[in-house]
Amino acid sequence: MTYYLTDGTADCFYTAVFDAYTDKDCIITSEKNVQIGLGYELKEVQTDSEKAERVKRKLDALDGSAVDDVNIMLRSCDPLRENAAFAYIKLIVKHGGSVRSMQADPRVLEAMDIHGKVTGELHKLKGFLRFMENADGVLYAPYSPDNDITDLLALHFAARLGAQKFVIHDVKRKIAALYDGEEIVMTRVKNAEIYLSEYERYFENLWRQYYKSVNILSRPHEKQMKGYMPVRYWKFLPEKN
Amino acid sequence: MLDEKRLEILTESAKYDVSCSSSGSKRVNSAGGLGNASVGGICHSFTPDGRCISLLKILMSNDCLYDCEYCPNRRSADVPRASVTPDEICELTINFYKRNYIEGLFLSSAVFASPDRTMELLTETVIKLRKVYNFNGYIHLKGIPHADDTLIMRAAKYVDRMSFNIELPSEKSLKLLAPQKTKESLLLPMKKLSDAIIYDKENKVRYKKRVVPAGQTTQMIIGASPESDGQILRLTESLYRRMGLKRVYYSSYIPVVKSSKLPTVGAGLLREHRLYQADWLIRFYGFNVNEICDEGEDLPLDLDPKCAWALRHMELFPVEVNTAPLETLLRVPGIGARGAYRITEARKYTSLDFDNLAKMRIVIKRAKHFITCKGKFYGSDSVKAVNAALLLEDRTDRAEQLSMFSTPAVAQSALTGEV
Repeated sequence: MTYYLTDGTADCFYTAVFDAYTDKDCIITSEKNVQIGLGYELKEVQTDSEKAERVKRKLDALDGSAVDDVNIMLRSCDPLRENAAFAYIKLIVKHGGSVRSMQADPRVLEAMDIHGKVTGELHKLKGFLRFMENADGVLYAPYSPDNDITDLLALHFAARLGAQKFVIHDVKRKIAALYDGEEIVMTRVKNAEIYLSEYERYFENLWRQYYKSVNILSRPHEKQMKGYMPVRYWKFLPEKN
Repeated sequence: MLDEKRLEILTESAKYDVSCSSSGSKRVNSAGGLGNASVGGICHSFTPDGRCISLLKILMSNDCLYDCEYCPNRRSADVPRASVTPDEICELTINFYKRNYIEGLFLSSAVFASPDRTMELLTETVIKLRKVYNFNGYIHLKGIPHADDTLIMRAAKYVDRMSFNIELPSEKSLKLLAPQKTKESLLLPMKKLSDAIIYDKENKVRYKKRVVPAGQTTQMIIGASPESDGQILRLTESLYRRMGLKRVYYSSYIPVVKSSKLPTVGAGLLREHRLYQADWLIRFYGFNVNEICDEGEDLPLDLDPKCAWALRHMELFPVEVNTAPLETLLRVPGIGARGAYRITEARKYTSLDFDNLAKMRIVIKRAKHFITCKGKFYGSDSVKAVNAALLLEDRTDRAEQLSMFSTPAVAQSALTGEV
């Protein structure tokens, strides 16, 4: 068995797909701490953009949405993401076209499951992200998602907020999306110092008051609340702190 | 600026309006504007009653001329009164929206001064929000019964969704409990809006210029008056088919107000839940109301309406999963809309067995009594045994929840932020 170790980027993954394609017994992963047993071989994959482009072109010719699907899957926190995407790609090539409708095939189910968890979290956080207004009018939102979705989330808010500048900060991965009203730039961030605008606390408190008032006390259903809004997201919600 | 006290009063007064959905509109942001709408709707928070917060739901005023029996804000009630100005609402909406607390505004009001004056002020507020504050997020506006048509149609141009609440499921109950509202004052503006929506579609009016692109909804109170589920669902069906409504909301009656004309106990959330299930069968599963429930009847509480229907028609089952058409699959208990679609896709490539179905998230323990896979059948053989198995399953589902809560709250009852 051979482990193809990638650096976690999409192009490195596609290079690994190219290298590993004819290898019958292999795993593609970007997990740094894989346990290698006896008889296992480790190959560190070096990104080769020409190989990556060839794989992407082939894939795109077979199924127009496959590259996007894989792009979403690679953002997952699932340690098996690369391997599931690899199996999915092999199936597309073998079948010679889109396999999305093979809803009973375990490789498709696995791929769609990982895909669905990423897009599901993206959708949830479009709602649960909270901005604070900075003294100079920039909005700042710290959060800590399971999957690597900061740039996708930034696209949503750029379309929504127009000329309003904002920063979305993934505190777990120490990366941030900066939007200046025109362009999104991704950057590495260790910690951010924030000076809140004078009205920030006032609106936060109004929001807390609203959250309290809109609840119907005689119809308690906390289990449903936690089902839709998992507790791990509460840390950054003013109404829950 | 708005203070916490007034926000509290005006939110408390608005919260019994069930609708909080922000779906159905594709409004885009304009140059220099703030906000857009997401067609699937977005939930921004969930309250401990399990409902989603998607919109800032607030009354302009709770100082009401009307004296509707069930309403905590009725004229004769001794409650604190408050009101806000259009600018205060606009500022609050913009500031909540910027911080991503909300998806937009749900604006309603008690009828103060006169229906026309109230509608005028609501319209002024939404126009100000769109034109002066350049807000392109979602707006749901409540229509005021008895207000002038031209005012209502003017407001409809600026908002994403409008709703007139039917309030009660029959004219008789409306007369008894909400004497100042008439059936016509609610249904005529709904019809007028519905005609305008159809006109825009047929004449291919540009999306930006359309009235209420997210359509209209309504709400009725369940259990405050004696109508049966059969009557309620017939009304619902005609609202969907004749008025093209997007949603009918049911609000299980909660005795917040003491009155000799009202029951002293609430209707219970289970009844509300069963009505929503039947509503879904009508809209997404190809059922018509006559199949679900007779006019004078209530829905069974111990079984969901789809199971109850299937048990009455055991002669149609079992069906073979690998060959049954989509419409038939949709009628199998344990197979939902998504599951039925998955089956029709998957069986193009391979013949399905029970293992496949389980992996595709079909509820086998319910479906197994009604299907065969490659000719194999694992269900119970008599109607009685199937009935017992389904009842048992339903009871264990509910027992889990009963152990945690004092009311027989059933999941999804107030799930309103989703499509």
